[in-house]
Amino acid sequence: MNKNGTDIQFAVIGSAGDGTIAAGDILKRAMAGLGYKVIAFDIYPAEIRGFGKCISRVRITTEQAYSLKRHSDVLISLDDSYAIPHVGEVRDYGAVIYESSPIARLPEGGHMTAHVKPSQLPYGMQVRSISERVTASARSRNIVVLGYLAGLYGIDPQAFREIIADKFRTKAQAVTVQNTAAFDAGYEVGQSVFKLDDVQLGPPVRKGDSGKVTMMTGNGAVVRGCIDAGLDTFFGYPITPATTILERLAAELPKHGGRVLQTEDEISAIAATIGAGYTGARAATATSGPGLALMTEMLGLGVMGEVPSVVFVSQRGGPSTGMPTKTEQSDLNLAVFGGAGDAQRIVLAPTNVEGCYRTAGKAFEMAEKYQTPVVVLLDLYLSNRYETVIPPDANPFAPNLNKGLDAWRGDGEYPRFADTDDHISPRALPGEEGGMHTVTGLEHNQLGKPSDAPENHLAMNAKRHRKLDGALSHPDFTICKRFGDEGPVDVGILGWGSTFGEILEAMFAAQDEGIRCSAMKVVMLSPLPKERIVAFMDDCGTVLVPELNYEGQFANLISGALGRPVTKLTRSTGAPMQVEEILAEIRRLAQAKAA
Amino acid sequence: MTEPLKPVYLEDKLNEVRGDGHLRYRSSSLPTWCPGCGYFSVAEGVATALNRLKVPLKDAVIVSGIGCASRFPFFMETYGFHTLHGRTLPVATGVKVANDALTVLAVGGDGDAFAIGGGHIPHAARRNADITYMVFDNGIYGLTKGQTSPTSVEGFVTPSTPYESHDRPLNPLMMLLSYGASWVGQAYAGRPHHLTDMIAEAVAHRGFSYLHILSPCVTFDKTEMTYANLDVRVRDLPADHDPSDRLVAMEQATRAEAPALGLFYREERPTLIDGMNDIAARATGKASGKGKKNKK
Repeated sequence: MNKNGTDIQFAVIGSAGDGTIAAGDILKRAMAGLGYKVIAFDIYPAEIRGFGKCISRVRITTEQAYSLKRHSDVLISLDDSYAIPHVGEVRDYGAVIYESSPIARLPEGGHMTAHVKPSQLPYGMQVRSISERVTASARSRNIVVLGYLAGLYGIDPQAFREIIADKFRTKAQAVTVQNTAAFDAGYEVGQSVFKLDDVQLGPPVRKGDSGKVTMMTGNGAVVRGCIDAGLDTFFGYPITPATTILERLAAELPKHGGRVLQTEDEISAIAATIGAGYTGARAATATSGPGLALMTEMLGLGVMGEVPSVVFVSQRGGPSTGMPTKTEQSDLNLAVFGGAGDAQRIVLAPTNVEGCYRTAGKAFEMAEKYQTPVVVLLDLYLSNRYETVIPPDANPFAPNLNKGLDAWRGDGEYPRFADTDDHISPRALPGEEGGMHTVTGLEHNQLGKPSDAPENHLAMNAKRHRKLDGALSHPDFTICKRFGDEGPVDVGILGWGSTFGEILEAMFAAQDEGIRCSAMKVVMLSPLPKERIVAFMDDCGTVLVPELNYEGQFANLISGALGRPVTKLTRSTGAPMQVEEILAEIRRLAQAKAA
Repeated sequence: MTEPLKPVYLEDKLNEVRGDGHLRYRSSSLPTWCPGCGYFSVAEGVATALNRLKVPLKDAVIVSGIGCASRFPFFMETYGFHTLHGRTLPVATGVKVANDALTVLAVGGDGDAFAIGGGHIPHAARRNADITYMVFDNGIYGLTKGQTSPTSVEGFVTPSTPYESHDRPLNPLMMLLSYGASWVGQAYAGRPHHLTDMIAEAVAHRGFSYLHILSPCVTFDKTEMTYANLDVRVRDLPADHDPSDRLVAMEQATRAEAPALGLFYREERPTLIDGMNDIAARATGKASGKGKKNKK
């Protein structure tokens, strides 16, 4: 795609402490400010300081893009020992920017010049000496390189200067002055460098709404969605990669009248969330797989007691402590099935940053309306990646969907768990006269009194499951959506979560090659939109399910629930799936179909 | 005990009981506890105390965990939440944070509190969440038919410790005093009037109040925490006990062989909600906060 517009991916690679992530951050914010669409994702080690590889990849486009590219157009090395293994990711005629005069004598093969391929364009520059000349320190090397990059591509330097000033606004004024000088020095060098035609940048597409474009991460979008949906209380326990949700809400929610508490563990976080939900508040917590494992008993209580709660789960590599700073989609089973008994709950999985915002807000509507826990599955790749999004003009979320005590017009004792047409019971909230009742995790009758009568358990199980069917037609929410060719296709791709961006890019590429294919994203994983998925599968010669785990959890969910075969494409490397991997599989399936 | 017995006429007693209105706090569900269980005293005590404090039924929430004691909410006419084993305090904290106008009571047994739920208690205490936590301590797991608990005596023979328990019992009062609970007291189900007074005082306290209630299990413990044994072992706190002195309170708490009844410790300090209100004021720029960072 993007045959006419701009589509450039930068990769900044360095050691922890080099300012790699900071450089990527300034770069993507400057480009977003200029009006380009941005997708960016950082990779960093689990250790805070020392010797770990940091990579910041920033893809800027004029057309909508859905994922990062396998091949970067420009590689910027802040530490050759980490960057050299990545030279291969730079495309032919792509640029490699590196330190031309290393400070120490390097072992043979230790310098970038020995590794840049003949088909790549080497741009060596004296990064360190420029930084030291301008700022009397080597610490601004990352900013010097940014200036060089801006000069090389002829990007408006003012956009960078503004971001630099903003980034260091909490530091001493001298820090901003020095870094701006470092940027300008790099820019001057970059401008005077000989450029090949391949190094160029088209103008950004300025549309009417460009002034409203903002850039945020998946977790940032979740926070925005929580606030717009009127989140009242948030209880959290730090865990990578969900911590930033807790941190951002701790700073923002009190400004909007909400309360945030860091609890002693994840069990306490979900317990307090359910306690708050019981009072009628919109309540949420956020965690990762290990925390979700601890929360499953409480989710069961939420199901049994029909108490609203929202749990954001940013998945990482598992099992157990796994790979805290690597991405994976392997908590689907836990989210959908985890816990004792028949404890169906709503599980949603957005596929991009804009979807994180929408799903977060809608999760509160659904939790409240269907009186159930709602799990929102994110993953590290989605939580931490940046995308440019356009915020909605009006708040899209309904403020209160509780079916209240007013909906009960009976005599006698108030039946908190009355079965109704839609199986949702009128819910009295503490403080309301005439609605006193006890919620329990024991099986109970319609009055909420403990009961283990056989016909009662059967009826209550049915009520708790059937009420969730309403969520399949919840207003203004996309539970699943088909893209690509209409009607019968050779290859259909079913996807969920963050991998759907790569799936879309692969599908568009396959269409360009003449393969008839389409893709469906499934956002609601429980209850599963079976009819829609079956209708899609009926159109597909063969169905491919790419996902980032070892077992093929979504593929198993689909084939188990629908009794139909699918082709799995699973990867559990800790990194996002490559578009080319999916494309290759689409080609293979299309050829097998034709043969 | 030595007072001469006066005849009690049923009709007079019923009128007296109905008259003061505390029965409104009891639900239509009759307790499922064994006859003679100390928990009946607590149910009566909570009903009387809430009535005395004029807490509206609709504004009281009783949160419990799992166990005999945790069946408590079903027998009260307030709002109730019978949650999971050990999770009483986190749920109660969530209720209070979401709606601080509610009077929140948390109840559970010694196993619910100090075995599975032990990790939550220090945090509720240090935050000073305005919750009244009542632990009904019978030193045994009653609902699973009589296994040893964290407050059972050393050498206790139960179905799960047929060759005697070798674990030392915890001292809950010492723990709560060191956790920073702002109100710590002890009562005994065999002294229901004192128990009622203590419950009322605990509920009235602004902040985290911990009331330890010694309460015999008449079905599974025939030898240790019986009425007969406790009647002779319990004592009142000394008349000159100073409840503002934490060290003196701890000294009293160490004498576990002769449990003292009364208010061990009390302090007034900002509650969890006070702290959250302060955060809200700082976040919205309405407070002259001490913090130097004032980001936009």
